[in-house]
Amino acid sequence: MRFATRTFLSSFIPFAVLLAVSFWAIRASVMQTVRDGLRASVRDKEVALAHEQARNEGRNRKLLEGIGENPSLKAGLQLLASEGSATEQARNTVQDQLSEICDSLSFDFIMVSGTRGEPLAAVVRYAGGFAPVNLTRLHPPEQGFFSADGRLYEVTSVPIREADAQVATLTVGGRFDIARFGVPAVLLQKGTVVAAQMRDLAPAQIERALAACSPAADCELRIQDQRYLSLPLGRPAGSGDGNYSLRSLQNVDAASAPLQAVLRKLFLVAGLIALAAMLGISALSSRSIARPLVDVATRLRLSAATGELPEFPEDRRAAQEIRDLTQGFNNAAKAVRESRERLTRAYVQFVGSLAQALDARDAYTAGHSRRVSEYSCAIAKAMNLAQDDLEIIRVGALLHDLGKIGISDLVLQKPGRLTLEETKLIQQHPVIGKRILENVQGLEAYLGIVELHHENLDGTGYPHGLRGEETPLHARIVKVADAYDAMTSDRPYRRGKSHAEAIAVLRSVAGSEMDSQVVEAFALLGDQRKQPAAFTGSQSLRSLSEAVQSEIDRSTPAATADLEVIAGEREAS
Amino acid sequence: MWIKLGSCALVAATVLAGADINGTIAIDRKLSRRNVTASAGMYQRGVAVKLGADDEGDPLAFERSHVVVYLEGGPKSPVSEFPKTSIEQRDRRFVPDLVVIPAGASVSFPNFDPIFHNVFSLSKAKSFDLGNYPQGQSRLVTFPTPGVVAVYCHLHSNMAASIVVAPSRWAVRVDKDGVFTLKDVPAGAFTVVAWHKSAGTFRKTVTIGEKQDAKVSFTLPYAEPTDARHVAHR
Repeated sequence: MRFATRTFLSSFIPFAVLLAVSFWAIRASVMQTVRDGLRASVRDKEVALAHEQARNEGRNRKLLEGIGENPSLKAGLQLLASEGSATEQARNTVQDQLSEICDSLSFDFIMVSGTRGEPLAAVVRYAGGFAPVNLTRLHPPEQGFFSADGRLYEVTSVPIREADAQVATLTVGGRFDIARFGVPAVLLQKGTVVAAQMRDLAPAQIERALAACSPAADCELRIQDQRYLSLPLGRPAGSGDGNYSLRSLQNVDAASAPLQAVLRKLFLVAGLIALAAMLGISALSSRSIARPLVDVATRLRLSAATGELPEFPEDRRAAQEIRDLTQGFNNAAKAVRESRERLTRAYVQFVGSLAQALDARDAYTAGHSRRVSEYSCAIAKAMNLAQDDLEIIRVGALLHDLGKIGISDLVLQKPGRLTLEETKLIQQHPVIGKRILENVQGLEAYLGIVELHHENLDGTGYPHGLRGEETPLHARIVKVADAYDAMTSDRPYRRGKSHAEAIAVLRSVAGSEMDSQVVEAFALLGDQRKQPAAFTGSQSLRSLSEAVQSEIDRSTPAATADLEVIAGEREAS
Repeated sequence: MWIKLGSCALVAATVLAGADINGTIAIDRKLSRRNVTASAGMYQRGVAVKLGADDEGDPLAFERSHVVVYLEGGPKSPVSEFPKTSIEQRDRRFVPDLVVIPAGASVSFPNFDPIFHNVFSLSKAKSFDLGNYPQGQSRLVTFPTPGVVAVYCHLHSNMAASIVVAPSRWAVRVDKDGVFTLKDVPAGAFTVVAWHKSAGTFRKTVTIGEKQDAKVSFTLPYAEPTDARHVAHR
């Protein structure tokens, strides 16, 4: 797993979980508060309603007692008593009176009954008017609910008195309308739902839920995972017909649903916003933590791929740990770089020593490699080449004739003209030099100079006959320096040319063999020779020790010991 | 409104040849409160008894036709000359609800409704209670004393009728237009009385000459008309 991912997850996940849990807890508590408040308000409303109902009933009762004093009705009852209830006209008379009362007071049912409770006359309201009721099957309670002809009536009774003695009872009532209550209500008869306002609930569910409720007390119940509140409505159960009980049944959850929906939406939006903000913050922080590390890792990977160990820029703003890391890496890289350089230099010195030894083989060519190196460096400097190129040219020029090690002294030091075979043998030295060096790690950069310093621009050179720019610039520079030194050096069979003559010769072949730009750059430099060409073996040795000394000066003290050993051995031999 | 002289000559010989008193009653506002039309609920009652409906005409005509005019101080005359009078119980009302009879005359109360009715009065001029009686039965009551008799039914408190027992045979109900005629009044000085249940009793003296008709006009009530709304729109 990536460091950035891990940082992100370890900062995001705990926060997200914390956020979700706290939101959930807050939401739950808010919901609970809302629900409690609502339940309280529903209860208050129902209690107020029940009070109102009781008060209305008291008022109605006084009104009804007034009706009980109706003299016409009393006269009608006397008529019934005197004529006998069998007389149709007498009953008609009373029924007519009852209809009138019923009509003027908007009752749906009215009945007079005698002192023993026997019905004397009764009238009900139908759609078209009033109709007498068959008395034989009529047994309404004095107060409460009863059902006649499939209709449910809610009735109440008052006495009809004469001279302080009750002579009859007047029972009046209206069709029971469950919707007249301000709250959803349900009417039960012996635990069975007779009328209910809840269309979405099956009567069986209501009956089951209400079975546990005490008839006279408040009750909280659950139907279909919804919370309901139920209070007894109207007169206390048991005072009238105990079979019936009227209760409110209010869905508390549904009542709070709109508020809950708003809250849910609010919390969802707030939660999502917080989550998004957290996501952004986590991403940013993980990025800021991981970024420097990723940078370091990227550079390390790059270093591993290229083999180079550059110094990292130290960022002052970076965290202390990152700075330490960078510094540590830089130190380590520096040490590696230095040791690698030391190693490379040791190779170079070793191989350079070989070159010096080669030079020393022939008194006439003594110091040749060193001089070619110096000329080449001068040209390169004049041509404004980079420092790295200069270094390559310096070392490459020192090694350029290494291949001559593999060529017999007989051929190499033969005075006079060479045979064709001998010439071919001589011409093998760039390839031999390349073969020697290509097996040594770290000297790859110098192979071009060693192999190609005898190629001509017109393709007449060796070993490959490359043309023009196909030969690298390094090799072309060394070629000019090599030719110049060869011309200006004394040979057993001739004296060396003067600087001007040599330059003239170089110019004559510029464009065909030599690179004219390089030749001109060299010509402009003027005479670069330091001392007359007079070589002895001891001189050759001195030049070797000079070369070694110059290398020692440039190297670290640690490498000096090795080099001294090499130099010592060389002097001893 | 002038009486034909020829008809006067045919009047009975025991009375001096008299003259007519013509008169008008003017009523400029409603005096009694009543329901001209029955409430919708009453039509739905659907019991055996139909509803009697008031005539829906001019309310002032109703008021005028509920005024009775009679003479005070006139000579006695035999009751038998007065036509038979009855107040029926029909559709739970007394029909008519106002009759005028001379003292000593009788009124019958037949019941035409399919329910019981009861007719009674507690008035000073005549108090009686006929008891409950069903359809098809009738009762007869004689009123010897002049005065106003209010008649009610114990069973139906909304039933009411008035019987004006006049001291003479010159007594008449005013017609819808407010016109009345007391015929064959002998010469002399009389008091003409106009009675309305709500407005009360109003008196005017009139002197009748030989064969000379008199004219009497009443404006009920005496009070000048007013713009006060609660009175004007009663």
